[in-house]
Amino acid sequence: LSSLNVTVIVKLEPDFSEGNVSYNPDGTLNRAETKNILGPHSALAASAAFYSKVKYAAKISIGTMGPPNADLILQNAQQISDADELYLFSDRIFAGADTLGTAELLKTGIHKMQGPMDIIFSGHRASDGETGQVGPQTAWKLGFTFLGNVIDYEVDLKNRTVRAKHSIRLQGFYDVIEEVEAPLPVFIAIDPSYKPTFNTASQRLAFQKYQKEASDRAQNFKQYLKILNAEQLGADPKLIGLAGSPTIVYKVEKIPKGKAGRQAEVIDGSSNEQIGKVVARLRQALSTMVIK
Amino acid sequence: MTDGDYRHLYVVMEQEEGKLVPVSLEMLSEARRLMDDFNKKYSSNEKVVALLLGDGVKEISKVLIEHGADVVIVSDNQELRYVRNTIYTKLIAQIATDKEVAAKVESVDSASFKKPRYMFFAADSVGRHLSSTVMAELDSGLASDINKLVVEDLQLTHQIKTAGKPLTYEKTLEMYRPDFSGFLWTTILCLDNRNPSIERDYHPQACSIIPGVFEPIESDSKRSGKIIEYLPQFEEKDLLVKILDRKIIKNEIDFDARRTIVGFGRGIKDAPEQNVKLIEQLASELEAEIGVSLPLSKKIISINQSIDSKYFIADRVIGSSGRKVSPKLYIAVGISGAIQHLAGMKDSEFILAINPDEYSPIKDECDIFIKGRMEDVIPMLIENLKTQKKVVQA
Repeated sequence: LSSLNVTVIVKLEPDFSEGNVSYNPDGTLNRAETKNILGPHSALAASAAFYSKVKYAAKISIGTMGPPNADLILQNAQQISDADELYLFSDRIFAGADTLGTAELLKTGIHKMQGPMDIIFSGHRASDGETGQVGPQTAWKLGFTFLGNVIDYEVDLKNRTVRAKHSIRLQGFYDVIEEVEAPLPVFIAIDPSYKPTFNTASQRLAFQKYQKEASDRAQNFKQYLKILNAEQLGADPKLIGLAGSPTIVYKVEKIPKGKAGRQAEVIDGSSNEQIGKVVARLRQALSTMVIK
Repeated sequence: MTDGDYRHLYVVMEQEEGKLVPVSLEMLSEARRLMDDFNKKYSSNEKVVALLLGDGVKEISKVLIEHGADVVIVSDNQELRYVRNTIYTKLIAQIATDKEVAAKVESVDSASFKKPRYMFFAADSVGRHLSSTVMAELDSGLASDINKLVVEDLQLTHQIKTAGKPLTYEKTLEMYRPDFSGFLWTTILCLDNRNPSIERDYHPQACSIIPGVFEPIESDSKRSGKIIEYLPQFEEKDLLVKILDRKIIKNEIDFDARRTIVGFGRGIKDAPEQNVKLIEQLASELEAEIGVSLPLSKKIISINQSIDSKYFIADRVIGSSGRKVSPKLYIAVGISGAIQHLAGMKDSEFILAINPDEYSPIKDECDIFIKGRMEDVIPMLIENLKTQKKVVQA
């Protein structure tokens, strides 16, 4: 049986869910008070990898660039994907990198993992940076075919190809679901709407088996974990971190309020009589014939 | 570097089956405005260059000139009918670094041409990935989701970029990016490393632009420009990526079919489940479709699986990162009015906002502002809608 070697790249992110996120008085994120978690898109990428485990008995590794405490999200992602190996790329000099500097480091890190890789998964985007650029840039630097917004995929192990469906949104036009076929290796950024399904009885059995294995492994995740710094990775310091980042944040400001587009009539929300009048206005607005 | 190394503003067009996607002309128009200023301030030789790739697209070149392009570089080939990342990326990078093409764009100053000075892409599901891979290939910086652009000479002191010394960066593109809340702007710059120990050029200065933000300029058939045809060459292995099938999806949430849309935002958070129920009742009374603000689609509030997957999804987002709507009546419930949301609904004919905070920006974009909590206001609205309907029927 041909094997499949799968990697997931994940990211430690602030937890933006209501109640967990904390903002400074000026509206910026209060990083010290906000809990960090495995990013939701990263978690979905890990489930996409788990699908490969269940369906193709793939070998799975997970890599992340982050601070030392990012090991906990590797544990979390292992719990989801039943990963065989975990890699944390951690060094002070990686900090502050923009997407190009991050992609360069991830490329270097992935080269240190047990390859060659057949499929690399990433999330759609990170919840904090929100650029969605690191995945495709890492793919490009690795020379992998990039497939973005993937909602479904199947692998043909014999012919070493992948078939993937991905969604394309064209604003002002329509949405398209495109089905593509590409030779391995590929880099897949998973769409937020991805839902793995397991149809056959044998898949469901495999699912349970690997899920149990994942729990056992995640309890002892440190024995699967390798932590590598810049020197161990052999990363070129000129190409990573701040030095390898073309972009900088120049300033952050409040978006000034624009000119008022309309002059609103303010209504007291506790007066039923007033609201009755509002409703009359709404009904009038709805009945007006407008010739455009 | 000399000033001849990096020239012009290249804009990557998007088209579907030979028709321009709206964001293409929006980007081009903003490029024109920016370059008009640039031409006055610095040099009249630098141009707006539109890159157009596709199959059977040559005819659109003229439209691009009428909308602000000085030069159109068109690559027309059946392999380019749909965007495949690898061949598109390679081709765009080839065109952008081609000296012969640069000599056709502009006869003077092209000898030392290396790369474009600036580059624009669309921040949509095609351009977002394409911009990333093209900039990885061109080895320069990329800012995403931009809604304002300025070119300035900036004096900067930066620990890494200038080794802590004050230096002037001429013709620097300030790229403004609204953050996830929609209330903060981050300005991103793409700067060469002038620090002697890590010296490196980073050009083009590139960004992806949010669709629906910039107004397209009026078409002017008297504008003239140059059309350059570029013959693409493909590597056989890159053509192994095949498009097997393409299905056009009609969105299930059809805002255009409704006369009324009720949009809700973070303001539901005090009692999310009850509030969503109230909003559903209000919408059903008005036969309205329901939309949400961008933050909700990120599942910052969770109610239960069935409500979350029905409402807190990208398809329902109204705004510059979602759908643009213009119904007869728009009701904004618990929406403070971030600029991205306003961009998606401000063309509605009549706008009602329900919000306890009179200072929220939505007040400046609505016709009636009901100051109050949705928990109190919506039931009264529903009651009045019911009674007034009865009056008419009687």
